[in-house]
Amino acid sequence: MNGVDKTGSRMQDVWMKNEVVIGLVMVAVLTVIMLTLGLSLVLTILIDAAVFTIVTLSLNLEVGHTGISQFGRVLAVIAGAFVVGAVPGRVLAFLNGLPYGVSYADDAVNYKVVPAISDLLASSLPLSVGFLLFSFLLAAVAGAAVGWLTSRPAIRLKEAYLGISLLAFGDFFMWVGHNWEPLVGGTTAVFVPDPFRVVWGSRFQVVVIVAVIMAFLVYLYLEKLTRSPFGRTLHMVRDCDVAAAVCGKDIVRIRTQSLMIGSALAAVGGALYVIYAGTCTAIGFTRLTWTFWPWAYMMLGGIGSNRGVVLGVLMLTVARTLIITYRSTLFGFLLTWGIDPMWLEYTLMGLVIMLVVLFMPHGLVPAKVESILPAGRVRKAAQEQGFGATVG
Amino acid sequence: MPAWLASGLAYASGLSLTAGGITLLYITTRTFNFAHASMATWGFYVVYTGTVLYGGTPYRWLPLSFLFGALLGVICYLVLNRHLLARKANTITLMMSTLGYDLVLLAFIQMYCDYLTYSLKLFPRRVTMSVYDIELFGTSGASVILPLTAVAVLSLLHLFITRTKFGTAMRATIENSLLAGASGINSDWVYLASWVIGGGMAALGGAFMAMAMTGTPVLGMTTIPFMFAGAILGGLHSLYGGILGGFVVGLAEYAGVYFLAAEVGSWVLGYRMAIPLLIMAVTLMAFPQGLAGAWATMVGRAAGLRKRGVEA
Repeated sequence: MNGVDKTGSRMQDVWMKNEVVIGLVMVAVLTVIMLTLGLSLVLTILIDAAVFTIVTLSLNLEVGHTGISQFGRVLAVIAGAFVVGAVPGRVLAFLNGLPYGVSYADDAVNYKVVPAISDLLASSLPLSVGFLLFSFLLAAVAGAAVGWLTSRPAIRLKEAYLGISLLAFGDFFMWVGHNWEPLVGGTTAVFVPDPFRVVWGSRFQVVVIVAVIMAFLVYLYLEKLTRSPFGRTLHMVRDCDVAAAVCGKDIVRIRTQSLMIGSALAAVGGALYVIYAGTCTAIGFTRLTWTFWPWAYMMLGGIGSNRGVVLGVLMLTVARTLIITYRSTLFGFLLTWGIDPMWLEYTLMGLVIMLVVLFMPHGLVPAKVESILPAGRVRKAAQEQGFGATVG
Repeated sequence: MPAWLASGLAYASGLSLTAGGITLLYITTRTFNFAHASMATWGFYVVYTGTVLYGGTPYRWLPLSFLFGALLGVICYLVLNRHLLARKANTITLMMSTLGYDLVLLAFIQMYCDYLTYSLKLFPRRVTMSVYDIELFGTSGASVILPLTAVAVLSLLHLFITRTKFGTAMRATIENSLLAGASGINSDWVYLASWVIGGGMAALGGAFMAMAMTGTPVLGMTTIPFMFAGAILGGLHSLYGGILGGFVVGLAEYAGVYFLAAEVGSWVLGYRMAIPLLIMAVTLMAFPQGLAGAWATMVGRAAGLRKRGVEA
């Protein structure tokens, strides 16, 4: 070990790392897709990946770094999506003398009011940017509020009980949105004012760039957060909450903070999604798409590893998009029995979860086990005790 | 019998079977079985296919439905659960593995529905099973036959685990798997048996519930929170608690919606799922270990008091 050239081995380490290899493969795949199938498909992949990266990273903060069994991710996503579907448009409608009350969400009124607001936004860049930032801020506040609410049972309940309770309440919120029309139109979708109309000619490209930048910022923030003293406290609570309590850490407060930060970020992801889609349909926020799929992404990438999560999201998004693109050419034989190849997407996600659990329990990029002391001090202590040969 | 009670009884019987199955799997294998959702839906589609293609009452097909569910359970055990248990995986990993299995089963259900629609010109995506029902004692057959079948199945289960040698081995493994192993019980067979029974109960439960509600490919997917609610209400420690919890949750939903709709207005129908969730939330807030946990605490306290009384 002592004889090896240090810089050389480090270089080798960088190239042997899973994340570097997979990242390069993903870039290559995206390039091939761009050259063969066109740029717009790559942009679709990127926007999907960006939205789900934000949501899955927030899930990873709670599950991977804090050890909370969060099976209600959809709850916070719904909070962000519904708030952005319901509030900012109403504020602008109120300021401009348009109908803003209960009737705003009525489908006969909504399809006239929202385009009027969008036209208004299109006329001024500062207004559009302000609208966008206001929407995200609102979503984050709503998400943090939901996170605080879910932290109440999270203090009392053990893992499985908590997971099931959160799952059930996510479903409940979806049904509230589906049934209570004044919120986001109930069974009919409510339109969301479009702050990107300012750049009408290149709207799609700009949305993708904004989304990717936001996902990157969330990644940087969480990477920094989980490496900070606060992040190490989270890991301590995750690994042994009793020991953390003995060390004087307030476990309730730490779990609450983690849930509030995670839920606020997930809500921003939901807000980004409805602004990009231009509509907000309550029934679209199912636990399958917004809880289970982020779980699958996270498990493939590696629970507790932020880089792994980003790669997991990217890989599965590419795979899903390719299945949808090639479903009639590659899987067209299914159509002879009338079977829609669309369902292969479900099979793919299910198989990924099963295979990861069986053969790759730590994911593509396993989270590093970090020692509390620097490695050098551990080695020195071990040598003093005479364990030098076995450690490091 | 009023209509809400008739369909409520059929639904509650189905929910008690599924909740019982979830509880059984949890106490034997520590697995929260998400695949219960699609196993239940498959149970319904077995009955539907049999009834539509070969005629007769839906009840003829219940045994086949149980067997199919048991088969799905066995596959889940042999492919996934067995290896994870051997590896001593944690609860969350066990839970996620069944979620993956559930998604695959759901995909197959959807493909099967596509096949039925295309090749046999059926309409399997919105099924009202009650049209195939028979009339019995002036009320729907489902409200009589299904609760009775549920009671029969659960009695058989009770006899099986209390009166047979294998049942005793099962209980021993549940109580203390290490000691049971030391005394020569093969826990592998016990786990397999609980997947057979749990999967079969899930399929039966799904077939039961379809007699009271619209049968769709997402029948299990939409009702799984209530199955869990029933199991949690029962406390997840006792099989009988789970069965009772499922029944209470199911009947409370139908009764609650009926009386609330009469009092407040029909708009509450959209929020019917709030009732079982509220029951679950209140139970968990008051007794974080469920009703069986509360019962055990109460019995424990009473026993403690008695003991102290004796000493005094």
